[in-house]
Amino acid sequence: MSIPARLNEVLNELPAIQARPAGARRVRVDVAPQGLPALLELLKGRLGFIHLSAISCVDWIEDGQFELVYHVWSHEMKLLVSCHVRIAREPGVYVSVHDIHEPAGFFERDIHEMFGVHFDGAPSMEKFILTSWEGPPPMRKDFNTRKHVEETFEWVDYRPDWLKDIERKGGGIES
Amino acid sequence: MTDKPLKSHVRPPQDTMPGGAGQGCPAPDAQTRSIWRRIMDDFADHCRARSLFVLHYCTGCGAIELPPTITSRFDMERVGITPMVTPRQADILLITGYLSLKTLKRVILSYEQMQGPKYVLGFGSCTINGGMYWNSYATMKRLDQYIPTDLFIAGCMPRPEAVQQVLLKLIEDIDAGRANAWQDYYRNYDFYLGNQQRLFGAGWNTPTDVIGEARHYGYYGPGTEGEHTRLLAEGGGSAARLAHAEYPSTALTGRIKS
Repeated sequence: MSIPARLNEVLNELPAIQARPAGARRVRVDVAPQGLPALLELLKGRLGFIHLSAISCVDWIEDGQFELVYHVWSHEMKLLVSCHVRIAREPGVYVSVHDIHEPAGFFERDIHEMFGVHFDGAPSMEKFILTSWEGPPPMRKDFNTRKHVEETFEWVDYRPDWLKDIERKGGGIES
Repeated sequence: MTDKPLKSHVRPPQDTMPGGAGQGCPAPDAQTRSIWRRIMDDFADHCRARSLFVLHYCTGCGAIELPPTITSRFDMERVGITPMVTPRQADILLITGYLSLKTLKRVILSYEQMQGPKYVLGFGSCTINGGMYWNSYATMKRLDQYIPTDLFIAGCMPRPEAVQQVLLKLIEDIDAGRANAWQDYYRNYDFYLGNQQRLFGAGWNTPTDVIGEARHYGYYGPGTEGEHTRLLAEGGGSAARLAHAEYPSTALTGRIKS
């Protein structure tokens, strides 16, 4: 498993890039935040990486960082390149790549809602799919899901009175 | 999200419901009905139990168990049950699997459009206690807090045999006049509305005038109106409520002006 020569050639043109194969038809590229737009532009223009499959976000709360992963696919090379960037968790601002890949606007809006990352230049940073949600972005690691659930919902009574009656008579569901 | 004053109150016990005597129409409970009325009701229940239309509200993964339940292998139609496409023509609302807050809103809107008598079946663990989504911020945990549920099918997944079993149990209950959970929505509307408001905010509203229906059908009880339904009144009449519920307010008023 190695990186195709054509891809290597393009990657060598950019500074501060680390690339390694990550399985069949997959390459992982780590890039500095300021280098990502140029990388996506080059991949798109030179090697036909025209399909942005997804942008994913990882909250590395202990490192104080968000990791953004841009997955691009080339129909020409039949290869998926995952471009990883790390940005500071506070203030959590990055640049939109909507001008390079139009579908990015959709993913960025989603990440903004779920993680609170703001993308400069994105077409829309408004509320998206969460309904009646006033709380913090729920996918952040510092959001306490369990606490929220306990405050918002009521649990089923697992030992109702009728079951206690049966237990007093020696029955029940526990062996 | 959580409005503190809207915490759901303790639900009044069933047997303290006198059927709204002195407040609008009296409910036709078993003691006050005439013999003729009782015979007709029993006959109607008997017939009703043998011809049921199910609306499958397939929100989660459980939907895959329903095609074998309906089609030749298990064949629900043997017992007079067949799928229906709209809530207004359906008798049973079968909720398969988890409900996100967004789908729960749609379920409540669909449920309120169904004509009584109507029955709700909760399918799978998710409708009972949240199932595998028990600690998710986005899914509701107990279906019976938001709409009255007749029967639950436990399991993840329940097999078609279990679905058939619960449908047979429902038929038995309807025939015996026991499947009356839907009346509870009218009698204790304030309880259900309070729980709904707790999730969707104080502005939550539906186009259906449930209190008016409760009066009309004679199921108005002491639990029909309360602190939560008062918030509805502050939102205005039913036309304003429609605009309030899901649509931007200009959608309605704009049309009236032009």
